[in-house]
Amino acid sequence: MLRKDLIQKSPVVQILGNDYMEKGQFGAVISRAGVGKTQFLVQIAISWLLEGKKVIHISLYDTIDKINLRYKDGYTNLIDSVGYIDPQKATRLWDDLAPCKFGITCHENTFSSKNIRDYLVSLRKNSLEMPSMIVVDGLDFDRDCSVVLDKLSELASEFSLAIWFSMKSHREEAFTDKGFPIQLDKVQSRFAKAVYLQPKEDKIEVVILKDGEKANERQLIEPATMMLAR
Amino acid sequence: MLKDLKRVRNIGISAHIDSGKTTLTERILFYTNRIHQIHEVKGKDGAGAVMDSMDLERERGITIASAATHCEWNKNDINIIDTPGHVDFTVEVERSLRVLDGVILVLCSVSGVQSQSITVDQQMKRYQVPCIAFVNKCDRSGANPYRVAKQLRDKLGHNSVLMQIPIGLEDKLKGVVDLISMKALYFEGDNGEDVIVKEIPKELEDEAAERREEMIDAVSMYSDELTEAILEEKEITEAMVISAVRRGTISREMTPVFMGSAYKNTAVQPLLDAVLKFLPAPIDINNEAIDHDRNGESIILTSDFDKPTVALAFKLEDGQYGQLTYIRVYQGGLKKGDTIINSRDGKKVKVGRLIRMHAAEMEDIDEIPAGHIGAMFGIDCASGDTFVSPGINYSMIAMHVMEPVISLSIIPVDNKSQINMSKALNRFTKEDPTFRTYVDKETSETIIQGMGELHLEVYVERMKREYKAEVITGQPRVAYRETITQKAEFNYTHKKQTGGAGQYGRVSGFVEPFDGEFEFVNKVTGGRIPTNYIPACEKGFTGCMEKGPKLEFPITGVRVTLMDGAYHAVDSSDMAFQAAARGGFLEGYLKAKPVIHEPIMKVVIETPNEFQGSCMGLINQRRGIILGSQEEGVMSAIESQVPLSEMFGFSTILRSATQGKAQFTMEFSSYKQVPQSVADAIIKAKEEDKKKK
Repeated sequence: MLRKDLIQKSPVVQILGNDYMEKGQFGAVISRAGVGKTQFLVQIAISWLLEGKKVIHISLYDTIDKINLRYKDGYTNLIDSVGYIDPQKATRLWDDLAPCKFGITCHENTFSSKNIRDYLVSLRKNSLEMPSMIVVDGLDFDRDCSVVLDKLSELASEFSLAIWFSMKSHREEAFTDKGFPIQLDKVQSRFAKAVYLQPKEDKIEVVILKDGEKANERQLIEPATMMLAR
Repeated sequence: MLKDLKRVRNIGISAHIDSGKTTLTERILFYTNRIHQIHEVKGKDGAGAVMDSMDLERERGITIASAATHCEWNKNDINIIDTPGHVDFTVEVERSLRVLDGVILVLCSVSGVQSQSITVDQQMKRYQVPCIAFVNKCDRSGANPYRVAKQLRDKLGHNSVLMQIPIGLEDKLKGVVDLISMKALYFEGDNGEDVIVKEIPKELEDEAAERREEMIDAVSMYSDELTEAILEEKEITEAMVISAVRRGTISREMTPVFMGSAYKNTAVQPLLDAVLKFLPAPIDINNEAIDHDRNGESIILTSDFDKPTVALAFKLEDGQYGQLTYIRVYQGGLKKGDTIINSRDGKKVKVGRLIRMHAAEMEDIDEIPAGHIGAMFGIDCASGDTFVSPGINYSMIAMHVMEPVISLSIIPVDNKSQINMSKALNRFTKEDPTFRTYVDKETSETIIQGMGELHLEVYVERMKREYKAEVITGQPRVAYRETITQKAEFNYTHKKQTGGAGQYGRVSGFVEPFDGEFEFVNKVTGGRIPTNYIPACEKGFTGCMEKGPKLEFPITGVRVTLMDGAYHAVDSSDMAFQAAARGGFLEGYLKAKPVIHEPIMKVVIETPNEFQGSCMGLINQRRGIILGSQEEGVMSAIESQVPLSEMFGFSTILRSATQGKAQFTMEFSSYKQVPQSVADAIIKAKEEDKKKK
């Protein structure tokens, strides 16, 4: 029951809908620094965790403790948005969800898909439940990422994974003619979904840049909790 | 012993396994003229380090028991406790920290802050012990003290401030630049005993100036005088900086970072100077005791020699002259012939021989004044006992002791071994509160319990070597527990009429899950069960907690509420209600969906990046959950939770999977429910065991 309530309240489900990205596809959360890319990615991951799926979260700058803290915070915000929930139930659900996410931290220059592949292969070998999504937070899209994206694309197809990326844009840069930030424009054909976050007064506006018919839809969220603004 | 307590330091050396603590201690003893030759931990001369006095320690290259030693540096007394690095011996570390005033936290310049450093740091926080950091092994390839200082900040939350910078690194390490005096220090002579002070090399001048500025900026927080001097652009004297760093360190608000290589005899002497300059003397620290005569009020002890004595026994050893008790005196002093009282049992004891330890050698002394660490002979006590002068009833605050998670049966091979074994067990349990022993009533086997495989292995080995007690060990067994998952009612009547006085008692109520160990709630009204039989009911219920009815593991987390019952004027008795309670518990317990809980260990594997995948595979095979993997240069740390039952023999498997390049640490994390398939296997194994018996 609690899972269902939380899924309904999830800002991700309310903005992007219930049809999760298909396996093998890429998604991107774009904003300039400090707006809330990572926390939005965490909400995307939590909505998958609530569906009973497993998630790998790769961060190129956060420590493991920081990643765990972000998830705990994201989960608490979601719980608070539902209203009163028996704290014991909430804790029990968190105990179920927490082991389903796996955090990896590495540096940009040592980031390789080989280690992730090794891990996935070992899971498959032992007939254990496979993750269905990877979050890659911190990849620098100002540089040429085509090689990394190629490798990750192979991985996504081989292991039926959806991959969400964070993408940092810059305040001074204008959108391209196609209506995308420069970082996304170069690689937009690879992405099935893309959302853009921008501050609007005391809220954050989520603009869907790419998602079939939903493109250009806009919603406001609270910056402190990432929940839908009332 | 010095009575000027400003010139006394009681320090410990703590760190992760293989960071070089014992090597560092060895160098300190050499430079302070306590030893005249350096032996390496696993040196080719076969002598082993002085601090590793047990044969077993020298053989394995690990420090098992913390040896206390004493040395002098620049006319100051330094008492050093060398503590074990392996997690299984954590209680030793805890005990040492309890009696220390400061710690040198040794970190490896390549591996950085490792899992045990995190555990040690938590312990230091618990006992509020100030520390300075020493980044060791700067001569090794991949050394990076700056990264380690950053990790101290990021991982442990220390306000780490570099006090030195290295002159060269890895195989080019030549010395260090002291950022306070802005001089370069080189270490010459066969064993680096000559400290040569020179000007800073040209190529390092800019960096040194920059780092000094950062350091001054960071430490100015702790001294108004220094801040003023900076703002008014006055001259910043060495004394100002030292006093600010000292204040910051003692208040645990900053951690000065030093560096060098103990193995290569580089920068150990400046570290000793730093111990005197920055770590607290006994008078700088507030120690608390509990006054039992005043309802457990806490009392601040002062290092006053004329006040009544308060001393804490923190370690026991069985030597050739009887039991040796390591003791820290907090107040007053211990003199030969004094009468003191053990505040735990109120027994009077007379102080006999007092000694000061130097690893395995000892030196007779007449007195241990307040603020010092020493040892006494011939006093029967347990570790953690407080000794006081007659007239006061204080005890030092108890140490944090963990519950054992693993057990092993041991059977002596012959009668002589049996006698020796019981002597050994008697001593070990007194020395180490996490090591326990009992006799299994059903199998009559002696069971030993401890914190990990290595922990028990070491004690079995010590039994063999020190007591000549040959024992055969069984398979290690995990300390499973049983608990219930839902509320269930019971209504049980115990009735017996077999001639003579009968037995009658009825109990009814319910059992339910509970957060603590056990709780009994009596809600019987109207005298349905007379009040004089209620304690018998409680006893009956409590007795059932020792062993679950199905699997015979101890039960935890149950609340029993007694609602109703019935008695018979003639046939009811304490015995009858105890039996009724046992029957009632059994009835309710089986309906309350009992489950098995098993100990889950936090396992951290440190591996070169290329083996990351295979290490994760090993964890997956063992029902483990990977919590995260963090890359640190060429190494990765994989953090996971794995059931203890799956971890037996893991070190061998890990070695073969990673060409011996990975290492792991393991410590107890929590109890969790066993999955049904595993529970079935445990039940089956238990049944087979029973059949065999």
